[in-house]
Amino acid sequence: MSEAMPDTAQEPSVGPDAGAKPAPAGSGRTLTGPLRSIRTYLWLAGSVLLLLFPFYLDRFWLQAGLFAMAAAIGAIGINLLTGSTGQLSMGHAFFLAVGAYGYCILAGESSTENGHELSGLGLPTWLAAILAVLLAGAAGGLFSPIAGRLRGAYLGIATLALIFIGQHVLFNAGSLTGGFNGRAVPPLSLFGFTFDDTEVVVAAVPFQASEKLWYVALAALAFSALFARGVLRGRPGRALNAIRDHRIAAGVMGVPVARYRAGVFVLSSMYAGLAGVLLALVFQRTVPEYFGMVLSLEYLAMIVIGGLGSVAGAVVGAAFVTLLPQVLTHYSDSLPLVSAPGTGGLTPGEASRYLYGAAVVAVVLFLPGGLTRLKKPGEKK
Amino acid sequence: MTTAPAATAPATAPAALAVRDVTVRFAGLTALDAVSFTVEPGSVHAVIGPNGAGKSTTFNVLSGVYRATSGTVHLGSTDLTRLAPHRIAGLGIARTFQNLALPPHATVADSLLLGRHRLTRSGFLASGLRLPSAAREARLHRDRVREIAEFIGLEKELELPAGILPYGKQKLVELGRALCMEPQVLLLDEPIAGMTADERRRVAAVVADVRDSLGISIVLVEHDMGVVMRLADAVTVLDFGRRIAGGTPAEVQNDPAVVQAYLGTQE
Repeated sequence: MSEAMPDTAQEPSVGPDAGAKPAPAGSGRTLTGPLRSIRTYLWLAGSVLLLLFPFYLDRFWLQAGLFAMAAAIGAIGINLLTGSTGQLSMGHAFFLAVGAYGYCILAGESSTENGHELSGLGLPTWLAAILAVLLAGAAGGLFSPIAGRLRGAYLGIATLALIFIGQHVLFNAGSLTGGFNGRAVPPLSLFGFTFDDTEVVVAAVPFQASEKLWYVALAALAFSALFARGVLRGRPGRALNAIRDHRIAAGVMGVPVARYRAGVFVLSSMYAGLAGVLLALVFQRTVPEYFGMVLSLEYLAMIVIGGLGSVAGAVVGAAFVTLLPQVLTHYSDSLPLVSAPGTGGLTPGEASRYLYGAAVVAVVLFLPGGLTRLKKPGEKK
Repeated sequence: MTTAPAATAPATAPAALAVRDVTVRFAGLTALDAVSFTVEPGSVHAVIGPNGAGKSTTFNVLSGVYRATSGTVHLGSTDLTRLAPHRIAGLGIARTFQNLALPPHATVADSLLLGRHRLTRSGFLASGLRLPSAAREARLHRDRVREIAEFIGLEKELELPAGILPYGKQKLVELGRALCMEPQVLLLDEPIAGMTADERRRVAAVVADVRDSLGISIVLVEHDMGVVMRLADAVTVLDFGRRIAGGTPAEVQNDPAVVQAYLGTQE
């Protein structure tokens, strides 16, 4: 993220004498000025576009977009842990589940559904959303003594356990989770405004749950991304990267390695929790099957495809991995080899899994920096 | 070269680093055998010896990477034998690594800022929310990093990724990162190995300057005897994990045990 430094005037010159003879000031092309303003305009245009989408896109694409935004938040979280700190986690789906179910339990009323006596606290939904994120953080905190001590792939193996524990609890703690059939998600309401399917007409466009939630998700994603960027560019980010790159040197430089590993694990769990809450709101029903191992793997695929260690990488990867099956489903009629679900043959879900499997392999082989780092001059390796 | 920047005054008065009877064993292999020496405050203390003598092990014990099997290490009155590396760093002991330990993609400025870790406070929340306190701290320490970079001659490379710099410059970045910790004691593991003559002179001058103007004690592992003899105030000679000689450079140079360790015995 160094390119945002105000004084990156001269381009890094690679070569044997790069250090001995720094390029004269004139030869360093001052592309950064105009480039930066172009980037600002792109950001502005992108933001306006994102804000206008609910007025123009149909429900299907809004759902897909919401799904992608929620996934992006989760992916930013796991990228902080895996991409920036080098700590593998297979348990991300568990924390997504804690967020999703935590919200349902905290916000839902006690009721009977599908033969299950569901218990719920009936808290205000906005409070439940915040508490669910904190709950996911607390769950991460419970695991953090382990997360602080294990490094890299070893943590990945330990976190596998969370998936199995999570699945067991989700299927069997019927009074909390609703068991196999899951439970309904109470719609979010904020300052008396409810994000549900009751129609509100804004500028002649009927706003339903998707349209309304769009702005919640957008705000949550913007906050999550900016927060993560602040962390990564600041003191904690340098410490995390140091742990990833040279663990022993990080300790010698004064970084308490175990404490930072534990801290970033908690933070990444909270991101997963927030993503879980949003996913629950979008789906309007939580089911245990969804929060399995495949989901954890999908999140890892997102950050590998998008780019390890960067916020933009997580967002791009999340969009790629979540939108691909949706796009394939939508256009399954006109695509060769892909057939609509339930008609036999390759379903869009399967096809997209093959595709992003191939994408992971291609990225690892040809774009080690991920899609967001297609090329960057002056970087070896 | 610019003169040494005025250091933020060390929190404590300079203290001697005392190594007493330190033994390190790895599963039957004795890497260090009852080694003792004292680094006087504000001096350059060289640790020399043939390959495998235990120099790097000594450094790893001093910086907390390895734990001594027995014996103690004290900085002044503080016992740091059993402390974790980051706590030892917190006491103001900084080190460089024989093989570079720099992230290749991070800029030189970021690598140097990592050295400020122990002197800064911003946590996840303050950095994530960009609180004014974090911004102020970052600005303050970036300024100090720039000063230190100028002091060691890296100001032009500050915004370049460390990985593209030539080897000698990367070693300078390591030295700079250690200096950024505002240490009381600086452990330099072969700081000039692999450098050009020009870079060697520069590093030797920086080391002398650091000692003279900042009063930092320096422990130096180096194979270049010329530099050792010129810079060191005291020398400890290790061979097969034992201290075989010690004293001023002149004394050590003429010590028969040292000559024997380096050149072998005459048949």
